[in-house]
Amino acid sequence: MADTQQLDTPQDIPRDLHGLRRSPASLLHEVFAAGSTGGVVELSELEFLTMAGIRVDPQSETATRIASVTDGLPAHCGDVTGGGTNGKPDTAVLWLGPTEFLVVAPPDAHETLGGTLVPALVEALADGQGQVVDLSANRTTFELTGPRARAVLEKGCSLDLHPRVHPAGTALSTEVGGIPVILWKTAEDTYRILPRASFATFLGSWLLDAMREYASPEVP
Amino acid sequence: MSADKLPEHPDFLWRNPEPKSSYDAVIVGGGGHGLATAYYLAQNHGMTNIAVLEKGWLAGGNMARNTTIIRSNYLWDESAAIYEASLKLWEILPEELDYDFLFSQRGVMNLAHTLGDVRESIRRVGANRLNGVDAEWLEPAQVKELCPILNISDNIRYPVLGATYQPRAGIAKHDHVAWAFARKCDQLGVDIIQNCEVTGFLKDGNRVVGVKTNQGTIHTEKVGLCAAGHSSVLAEMAGFRLPIQSHPLQALVSELHEPVHPTVVMSNHVHVYVSQAHKGELVMGAGVDSYNGYGQRGSFHVIEHQMAAAVELFPIFARAHVLRTWGGIVDTTLDASPIVSTTPVDNMFVNCGWGTGGFKGTPGAGLTFAHTIATGTPHALNRPFALERFETGALIDEHGAAAVAH
Amino acid sequence: MLLIPCPHCGPRDETEFHYGGQAHVPYPGNPNELDDRQWAEFLFYRENPKGAFAERWLHSTGCRQWFNMVRDTATYDIQAVYRMGEPRPTTTPPGGGSRATGGPTGPSAAHAGTPASPEGARP
Ligand SMILES: Cc1cc2nc3c(=O)[nH]c(=O)nc-3n(C[C@H](O)[C@H](O)[C@H](O)COP(=O)(O)OP(=O)(O)OC[C@H]3O[C@@H](n4cnc5c(N)ncnc54)[C@H](O)[C@@H]3O)c2cc1C
Ligand SMILES: [Zn+2]
Repeated sequence: MADTQQLDTPQDIPRDLHGLRRSPASLLHEVFAAGSTGGVVELSELEFLTMAGIRVDPQSETATRIASVTDGLPAHCGDVTGGGTNGKPDTAVLWLGPTEFLVVAPPDAHETLGGTLVPALVEALADGQGQVVDLSANRTTFELTGPRARAVLEKGCSLDLHPRVHPAGTALSTEVGGIPVILWKTAEDTYRILPRASFATFLGSWLLDAMREYASPEVP
Repeated sequence: MSADKLPEHPDFLWRNPEPKSSYDAVIVGGGGHGLATAYYLAQNHGMTNIAVLEKGWLAGGNMARNTTIIRSNYLWDESAAIYEASLKLWEILPEELDYDFLFSQRGVMNLAHTLGDVRESIRRVGANRLNGVDAEWLEPAQVKELCPILNISDNIRYPVLGATYQPRAGIAKHDHVAWAFARKCDQLGVDIIQNCEVTGFLKDGNRVVGVKTNQGTIHTEKVGLCAAGHSSVLAEMAGFRLPIQSHPLQALVSELHEPVHPTVVMSNHVHVYVSQAHKGELVMGAGVDSYNGYGQRGSFHVIEHQMAAAVELFPIFARAHVLRTWGGIVDTTLDASPIVSTTPVDNMFVNCGWGTGGFKGTPGAGLTFAHTIATGTPHALNRPFALERFETGALIDEHGAAAVAH
Repeated sequence: MLLIPCPHCGPRDETEFHYGGQAHVPYPGNPNELDDRQWAEFLFYRENPKGAFAERWLHSTGCRQWFNMVRDTATYDIQAVYRMGEPRPTTTPPGGGSRATGGPTGPSAAHAGTPASPEGARP
């Protein structure tokens, strides 16, 4: 069904127009900085990551073609593939469902910045059964990092986040602070949290509130 | 509003008789509806050789668990008729039953939070007035005047855009209502039999002739089912189906407070309804749990959601404490309207489907169901609420007026 | 709060799911031939047992997949989880109906070959 094949991809958007873009949590950047404590827990927004949604039966020929672009497709809940190989260091594929995946790549993977990710995926899909959709504006990405990051998340996420069951390189669709997010642990003590854009200010404020106690010295 | 205003009541309000071997009619379920039905059977139809069988203790089901809101501002003519008849009965029952069960007509507000709510509410006010139901539309400032503790600022998630208001609506003390009916039933000769669970039915062909219970078999001419959340279970024993799904519905109370909340406020949109009981505790109801359940308990997130909404609407509640939470089993229908009806089994009748809002219907259900049982045909008020409506398609969709909240 | 073992993601809080009511209710094969009674049955009548109930759930905040589950409506104990299209498995209430054998996280939680590893991390 190649839904996005017909989409206009205006390669000719002047680059300086990007200077006018505002990310969903841009109003919070100052308070994120003020509420972060180096070496304890820090919060920031990773703006404008390129994201593409893929729906395809992983057993199909189409999936094989798509996997050759993305450097594989994750097989199980929690799995993340890519990242670090094939000359595409920051491009990763997250498992969202048995036939649903999310490709996350740096901002300049988007064709408006000269990238080729989505067109390459659309080309791989060809007329196979499935879907490739540019979802770059759907979610924003928070990065929460530091030795207290897990404690902050545990206030509003009922998954077991202990490294024993939740190692780095795991991404799960779940809830944080009552908000549906993808929670992606990219490294020990570092998490990416992907809410939909309209939840960004709420979740950002929620996380700041949850971080607050760690800014003060621990009461022995 | 202090405890010393509660009426004294004697140690025994009714006998605890052994079941007889046969009755003219047996009512299954000793909640409000079963007791009211028995009362009107005896009082209006002279049927006094009857029994109410209750598997637990008297009025220990939803009758013990509801938030006691009484109103009649439903949308459709059929509903307005039966709920308004019920409200008129509430107005005379304390005297008729000679029992002050603290029916307090302090008014009920239904908040509107969205433009859709506003339109729907104003339409309902118009429909109510055409049906002789006292109904008003209040602007936010008028809402604030009637209930000063409500937050009507527009800087909240679901701002108050207005409310419908029914001045004659209110609350009553649910236990006392049950006891008032039980005492009167007992005086009229009705046997109220507790700890008596109906486990099956005796049939002669398609006609019911008795009930099997854990206290033995009881023969009877007629059976009226008033089992609320357990209606489907009893119908299955009798060999027919009901279009009912049983769900948990939860409520809670705070500790006692000085009087701060003068009326009753309901919000279908955020699933919260609040009043302050006579003793001073804040009584709040939540939304139904999504899943079917007979457990008399629901999930905690429903309570959390409800408290978040309540604190936003009533900032003054932020320092109150949840003292107790509990759940009942509500019998919901797809059109959010009750079933008061004959059944596919001869001489068996069913009153159910009152779902989240049948406390207010207690006298109306009792009056019309007693008529249906005594005469074998529906009363004019409950004819539209027969089982047939699910076949004819003449549904009475009260989701707007009923929603989850009552 | 129910803890529901999603067949794809493992045990998750009930708030991540949506309820879909009774499972295994097929759309009538011969809709033009149904009489009013049969339509009423299809549209409005559903099982409402006190006890084991086969029902549909959607893991809306997770893998967005529908699946079936047998749950006891009186104890809320989850007896089996299985995929759409699979027939209802035979279940026996754990411990012969007593609630002693754990809640939904207990060994009875994931039947029918479902991966119930914690939070869906690789087994
Ligand atoms: C939390 C909550 C809040 C509510 N708030 C409101 C409100 O504000 N306003 C309003 O109008 N309504 C409200 N309701 C709804 C209202 O409580 C019910 O619609 C109404 O009580 C049902 O009628 P009943 O009193 O006869 O039910 P119940 O009191 O439940 O009576 C049914 C009885 O049948 C008995 N029974 C079941 N099976 C058998 C058997 N096999 N043999 C013998 N006996 C049996 C049960 O033990 C039970 O006592 C609320 C309900 C709940 C749960
Ligand atoms: Zn899942």
